[in-house]
This record gives sequence, structure tokens and C-alpha cells, in this order.
Amino acid sequence: MMVPVRCFTCGTVVGEHWEEFKARTREAEEPEDPEKVLDELGVERHCCRRMLVSHKDLVDIVAPYQ
Amino acid sequence: MTEEYEVEFVDLGEREATFLVRPITPAFANGIRRAMIADVPTFSIDTVRFIENSSVMFDEQLGLRLGLVPLSTPPGEFEEGEEVTLSLDVEGPETAYSGDLVASDPMVEPADDNIPIIDLKDGQRLELEADAVLDSGREHAKHQGGVAVSYRHLQTVEVVGERGEFAADDPHVLRGVIEEQEADAAADADAQNGDLVPTDAFDNDLTNRYPEKELDVHDIEDAFVFNVETDGSFDVETLVLEAVGSLETRADELKEAVQL
Repeated sequence: MMVPVRCFTCGTVVGEHWEEFKARTREAEEPEDPEKVLDELGVERHCCRRMLVSHKDLVDIVAPYQ
Repeated sequence: MTEEYEVEFVDLGEREATFLVRPITPAFANGIRRAMIADVPTFSIDTVRFIENSSVMFDEQLGLRLGLVPLSTPPGEFEEGEEVTLSLDVEGPETAYSGDLVASDPMVEPADDNIPIIDLKDGQRLELEADAVLDSGREHAKHQGGVAVSYRHLQTVEVVGERGEFAADDPHVLRGVIEEQEADAAADADAQNGDLVPTDAFDNDLTNRYPEKELDVHDIEDAFVFNVETDGSFDVETLVLEAVGSLETRADELKEAVQL
């Protein structure tokens, strides 16, 4: 549904980076490379990186069925 | 017996630090690591009373997300089991963030303000009251103060000769912190023997620092480099001190129990 608050493996807070990550890699006029965006956001370990890279936001899809 | 520990900070930030401790046995280093993760108490939301929740997520899902939000925990002010109340009131169309939580005690506040809790659409509303409890990581992972705590040996690089002219040109990757002992062979002009050099200073590739040399890497016994990160509940210094303090408390309690 919403982006997980913390990385499942190590526990670092990754929820705060989701909106910027989504804006820069999908919604921007020139989508950037996710690898570069994650590096710039300071998301280092691959356990934390996969939390953002592989997240599917379902909130908007579920909303009409409420 | 008393030990003189040598502690040197390689890198110090508010939430992250790398430091060397020696001499320390692997068992004690592991004990400190475990204490940092599981024994240092933090505040986290535990009980939530919903006044209105018309969002797409169930009460329990929101409760989980709220529990995982890190709250600042001033050391020594509270006892384990004490509660602090926080409240949240957001109306759509808007996103409720962790920064919208209002605490009854200004010392206990969300450590990060822009963690999205839930996306509210038009006409939806979230109003709740939550109790944050001081408890340790042992009880629930949300109370973990230290995230990504690790330690590794301090290593040293020895030059054992020149690289053969037909040897492969592969990068020699090493991560961690090295103690310089071959300053003359180093590519860095300011290198001195005894310097602590983090490997990302030379891109983790030893062939950048010692070009054209054949190298042998050794672990320095009893010298460990800790890499500690906190989730924002407190700073690194507090975390380490509280962790060591908790070990001391446990040892004292055992001593009392054993004494006849």
C-alpha cells in the first residue's frame, strides 16, 4: 500500500525518501537513473535500496473501492 | 582488572559514526553490538485510539506504521514502561506525515518529519490518539535504537614485493579501515605510518594506493572498527554509552545474585 517505513532487513528509515525517489525517477520530465537517485539520497545498502526500487504504491489503486 | 581502551573516531556524524576500539576481544565487541540493537530502550508508539479513520488502510495497518516511526528519546529522563501521548489530526485531500504528530511532551517527538503515514483522498479523515512506550529492541523491532551496527577487524597492508610484469591488472578490492604501515610505498604524499585510512579514500581498490606492488592483507588482532548508525532516536554517542551501560548493569545484577 504505502511505502514501508523502515527497511525490512536493517531497519533504517526509508519511507522519507519515497516521494523524492518517485518524483525523480518516474514523474519528472527527464526521468533519472534510479541508481544515481538512490546514491544521492544516501540509501547505501542494497537491502534498503530494494525497498524503494521494488515498491508498488497501491493506495491510489485501492482508493476507488473503499 | 582495568583495561585502557584506545578509541579513535574515523568518522563522526549525528546519526552515523565509524570508530576504532582496541584492545577488545571479538566476544566483547559482539556483546556491545547486540546491546546496541536489543538492549537500549527507545520510545515507540504502542497503543492507538482511533477517533476517526476513513482512509483506505485499516486501523491495524496504520498502527503498525505509526509504531515504526522513530521518536526522539532523551537519555536518562524516563524509566522503562513510562508513556507519552501523541495525537494526529489530518483531513484529506492531503498526505499525513510523521511531522503532523503532536506530542504531549516536547522531549519525545518524531525524529523525522517527512515519513508519509497515509495518503488521504477528498472526504477522508484521520484522527487518533497514541501512547508511546519506552521499551527495548528485545520486545519489538520498532524499539531498536541502532540500525545497521557492525564491526570488522582493523586491517593492515604489507608490501611483499613488486608486481610481476606479466601479472593480471585486476583491482584488489578491500573495504573497511586500514592502518598504514607502508607509508613510503603509498601513492598518497601525506601518508604516515599509523594513519587510519578508510578504504573509500582510495575507491576501495588497493592498486590505487600501492600501484605496481604485490600486497598481503592482515587483520590486526583485538582491534575492531565499529560502524554504528542510529534511526534518529538519539545520537551515536548516546547509543554506545547506553549500550555499554546496560552491559554493566547486567553484570552488576549478576554479581549481586551470585554473592553469597
